[in-house]
Amino acid sequence: MKPCSFFSKSVSRTTAIVLALALLAGCSKDDPQKEDTPELITKATLTFTPVGGGTPVVISATDPDGEGVQDIVVDGPINLATSTQYALTIDLLNTLVTVGQPGYSITEEVEEEGQEHMFFFGWTGAVFQTPSGDGNIDNRADEVNYVDVDAGGLPIGLITTWTSAGSAGSGTFRVVLKHQPGTKTASSGSTVGETDLDLTFTINIQ
Amino acid sequence: MLLFPPVLWAQEGCTLSIEGHIVSESNGPLPNAEVLLQGTERGTTTDKDGNFRITGLCHGEFVLEVRFVGYETQWIRAVAGDTHVAIQLHPESKNLQEVVVREKHVQIDKSTTYAILEGASLDKTAGKSLGESLKALPGVNTVQAGPGIFKPVIHGVHSQRVLILNHGIRQEGQQWGAEHAPEIDPFIASNIMVIKDAGAIKYGTDALGGVIVVNPAPLPEKAGLGGTLNTVMQSNGRSGTISGMLEGGLKKLDGWGWRMQGTAKRAGDYHAPDYSLTNTGVSEFDFSTAAGYHGEKFGADIFYSYFQTELGILRGSAISNLDDLVTAMESEPPIGTTSFSYDINPPRQEVKHNLLKINSHWSRPGGEWRFQYGYQSNFRKEFDIRRADLSSLPALDLELRTHTLEAEYEMTNSKGQQFCFGINGMYQDNRNVPGTQRIPFIPNYTSIAGGPFAVGKFTLSQWTLDIGTRYDVRSYEVVGFDFKNTRYTSSLLFHNVSASAGISRPLDKHQTIKLNLSSAWRPPHVAELYSLGTHQSAAAIEYGLLLNDSTNEVMDISEVPFQLEQALKAVATYEYSSERFQAEATVYANTIFNFIYLQPRGVTTTLRGTYPYFRYTQTDALFVGLDAEADYTLNPHFTLNGKLSLLSATDIRNDDYLVFIPSNRLELGLRYQAAKHQFYVEPRVNFVARQHRAPRVITVREFQEAIDNGGDPLGGSTKNFDFMEAPPGYVLAGIAAGYSWPLGEGRLDLRVAAENLFNSSYREYTNRLRYYADDIGRNFSVSLKYMF
Repeated sequence: MKPCSFFSKSVSRTTAIVLALALLAGCSKDDPQKEDTPELITKATLTFTPVGGGTPVVISATDPDGEGVQDIVVDGPINLATSTQYALTIDLLNTLVTVGQPGYSITEEVEEEGQEHMFFFGWTGAVFQTPSGDGNIDNRADEVNYVDVDAGGLPIGLITTWTSAGSAGSGTFRVVLKHQPGTKTASSGSTVGETDLDLTFTINIQ
Repeated sequence: MLLFPPVLWAQEGCTLSIEGHIVSESNGPLPNAEVLLQGTERGTTTDKDGNFRITGLCHGEFVLEVRFVGYETQWIRAVAGDTHVAIQLHPESKNLQEVVVREKHVQIDKSTTYAILEGASLDKTAGKSLGESLKALPGVNTVQAGPGIFKPVIHGVHSQRVLILNHGIRQEGQQWGAEHAPEIDPFIASNIMVIKDAGAIKYGTDALGGVIVVNPAPLPEKAGLGGTLNTVMQSNGRSGTISGMLEGGLKKLDGWGWRMQGTAKRAGDYHAPDYSLTNTGVSEFDFSTAAGYHGEKFGADIFYSYFQTELGILRGSAISNLDDLVTAMESEPPIGTTSFSYDINPPRQEVKHNLLKINSHWSRPGGEWRFQYGYQSNFRKEFDIRRADLSSLPALDLELRTHTLEAEYEMTNSKGQQFCFGINGMYQDNRNVPGTQRIPFIPNYTSIAGGPFAVGKFTLSQWTLDIGTRYDVRSYEVVGFDFKNTRYTSSLLFHNVSASAGISRPLDKHQTIKLNLSSAWRPPHVAELYSLGTHQSAAAIEYGLLLNDSTNEVMDISEVPFQLEQALKAVATYEYSSERFQAEATVYANTIFNFIYLQPRGVTTTLRGTYPYFRYTQTDALFVGLDAEADYTLNPHFTLNGKLSLLSATDIRNDDYLVFIPSNRLELGLRYQAAKHQFYVEPRVNFVARQHRAPRVITVREFQEAIDNGGDPLGGSTKNFDFMEAPPGYVLAGIAAGYSWPLGEGRLDLRVAAENLFNSSYREYTNRLRYYADDIGRNFSVSLKYMF
């Protein structure tokens, strides 16, 4: 029967052509390359260094699997002494990138692109003498003592200073890093821009 | 259809011919109408004056079949030699006859339920994207990602479950993404058809919801020059579109024809009634060219098209985590709203699509061979708002190259039964272009797919029966990087059978019934199996079906209870047609077994904050609905038109509703037509109901509260949820008017229209940006079309 002979012949011919095309396309195909992932932050370390000297308090939050299902692991609590002035430095890493390779330290990138980034802080439990209040996450104008500034003179927040409360107490301490490309101003608050980091720690003054 | 015995031709001494002239109802010539000799494979098309001539005939009586898109097909008897035939065609009623395009690659069976945009109904959509244009058809909706990105939805399903045939070739782009619009310029089509059965057997897998067919006009076959120039200006978006087409034949070379066509479009920010929709502009540039020869026994065409678009995505929809989502949802106007601009900034998409097609047909006594080769390359870049240096790098950069090859043989036996056998093959290569500085959302893969098919058409007294079956295989070779950025590879193979059967019969001279039952399947897309990552406008993480629930490691498909997705669709259509009243109603039920969808599974925290995460999962889904359209002619000047689409979509395995299902809607229109067919006015009103069949709502604030209190925001349930209530129903009014002039050798059509006339603020449930902004406000448009 005609259709049958058509089939057998055509199938083999079609298969041959498809295979030939596959080979052709196969030649130009290269194996996928591993991408650097500079935007991923998998580890954030907060170092509270007593200004008058002493042992720094180091706390970190680690994400074991990037965008995977596993939750982050947050050390803690942050235990600070009463009535002590601390300098807080924040260090951000992408541990999926090899140490020393570009993209490993996110801190450097935030610093370089300071005009697009700003840290905001919020706390409960009146754990600080200065700054007073509850931080600038809810209101940009509220007091936070920034040390570093960007090229335009606006605060960044990789380095800040804090004086703990005079009496023991506890609360939470929240750090938010916002990416505000073209939108960072003297009044842009924590609702402007995309969130790069949002962490909440337990804090004790003892 | 009546059947006539085959007639022999072109034998020794057969030198007679039949000539004729074909006109429209208003006695204007109909160029490019098809004239076929019944019972043979012979035929021709009319020239620009509506004349045709079929030569090389023997003595005898012939039956001519005359077809023209938008008109009722006519059959007329003619005697070879001494006859000049004059035929007047009448615009088609709802009772559509079989529609066949010149190349016969896209053939519609009598029992097929379909809707078509052509002629005036296609002109009305000039300047709109393919997806938006199709909304004019009952049963067809869209899922949207803002005012410029429309993805067609047929009977509730879209993306991988809708097949698009562009010039007879399966469109292969990154169609898995709901925010990835079809890469097709609607100006290349002379008609766009939506087949609502699942059983378009000849075109392969994936047509679970239906098929969209973009048909070009046949190429000219006689000397002469023709063309069209379209310009469209719209107030909303301050957009301009210009599209031109030039075509002709070759002197002294009958059968040769060519065409060139191009479109350019530029739109700035659209605006909602109360604010600008910042960064929703569009920039598009397309062109195509075709040439071909169509002789009595042999024909071949070559076609090339290029499509390029850049699309902005609403600035206020770019978010990172759940907190950002609350802010974005509660901000009105959306965050980042600025005054009107033509600028397109991140988040944005850049898409290019090339299509090269070569096809031929070769008639032999009793049958015809057809061959087709297609090559497509699709380039998609998506830019998110990222840290300074990275914003200029695409976050997604994909290249998809596809080769398709098809061969078929169609024959009609002496009893008038028609059979078609064929085979399709495809080779596809998907590649992530390195340099995105992100773990790719979908892996690289190569795929080989294809299979044989057979379809038959039979007539038993009044009944017409169409049946078909096919077998398909698809393989994937996958190479990707998992969440740890570690390389993985896998090989997959899927195969299955599809089948379809349809019957139709006229009940009397006014009524026809059709019934189609089909079973279709589709192989899973690599995106559904392996995707990993966040969508910038969704604040949600997606995981593929083959990623382990707790470890996120890539698993082998044998480790999961995966079953192929398969649809069983029944469609029944009733058509009524009398001089003054035409109506068509279609009811359908589509059960999709092992339906793959994104199921909410839980909440995960990263250093950027909290995200709900969704995993591709399988269930059984049922889509039941009704589409209806009716026209009633009150008198020679006034016609009433109504279109109705009802749909219910449920997850029958989990007793739940599905998300983003179009709600019920009704469109009513009145048309006034002046006596001379040159002027018309058309007011119309669209009623869109609220989607009451929507999943539960968990607001972002409820989400956060639950997390803060240490609870599970999903309440331990994997039922679907939405962050926001379905928006209320809405009513939109519009009006259009048109006028036509003869101009030189051609005709000039002017159309002015106003959409959303009362500038109502509303949100459409199936628009993914409804969380952030209102839909677009009033829009005035002016279109001019010149044809010669």
